[in-house]
Amino acid sequence: MTWLLASMITVLLWGIVGLLQKMGSNHGTSNSLFVWTTAGYVLLLPFLFGDSHLLSLPARSIGVGVVCGMTNGLGAWALYTALERGARASVAVPLTALNPLITLILALIVLGERLSALQTTGVVLALAAGVLLSYESEAS
Amino acid sequence: MRPNPGVWHWLGPALMCVVWWGLFGFLAKVGTENVNASDMQVLFTAGALPIAAYIVVRRLRMKSDRRGRVIGTAIGIIAGIGNATYFAAMARGKASIVGPVTSLFPMVTVLLATTMLKERLNKVQIAGIVLALVSAAMLAA
Repeated sequence: MTWLLASMITVLLWGIVGLLQKMGSNHGTSNSLFVWTTAGYVLLLPFLFGDSHLLSLPARSIGVGVVCGMTNGLGAWALYTALERGARASVAVPLTALNPLITLILALIVLGERLSALQTTGVVLALAAGVLLSYESEAS
Repeated sequence: MRPNPGVWHWLGPALMCVVWWGLFGFLAKVGTENVNASDMQVLFTAGALPIAAYIVVRRLRMKSDRRGRVIGTAIGIIAGIGNATYFAAMARGKASIVGPVTSLFPMVTVLLATTMLKERLNKVQIAGIVLALVSAAMLAA
């Protein structure tokens, strides 16, 4: 599987998740949705162990993986907090869509990744597209 | 526009969300250098569990109906598989490209919402879809 195919499947699955989050938002608080989502993650665990090398991993790798999961949850929590404190969803959600900018900056500086001119243009457009796509009209 | 102090009350956490999720993408890349995609999702779950446990133990606004619980669990299963494919993409590609490309997922959400929830696309979202397709074509080249 290439990075492109894996990315497209991710976009499809996360896109479905976005729809489910819309459908679930009137059926529970954001906290409860987070807890039940985590329950779903746990249900998935038995299917992930088939190709597992967890026991042979160095502690550092395990640490990075666990903190990776934490940052995702903390991000969701921070967004809920912003919305609870009166942030307008039409402003806050498109703002949070800028998060790959942080990934991009860290990848360029810390990991030394380099992009061609075409790739740079594509990345900038993707970031802009993410912001525009997240914009929900207030009245709708 | 100069933000007044009250703005930071919500802008602070919103910016923290940007930082946390941006860091998530970076750590996904760093982690998958040594860890396979399914193991990364196992570790990811281990990272999410303490936050969920904190919410449950502290009884922080945990109201939901049965439908909400079913949808929430379904979200976890589908998002978990999506995370695993995201980790697979990160393992194979540059974080500086995979991060922005996978952030195009709201395109699928808004298109599904028009058919499933009868929501209407606004002009901003239509512009977003056009930009997303152009950028995807550039990055796939």
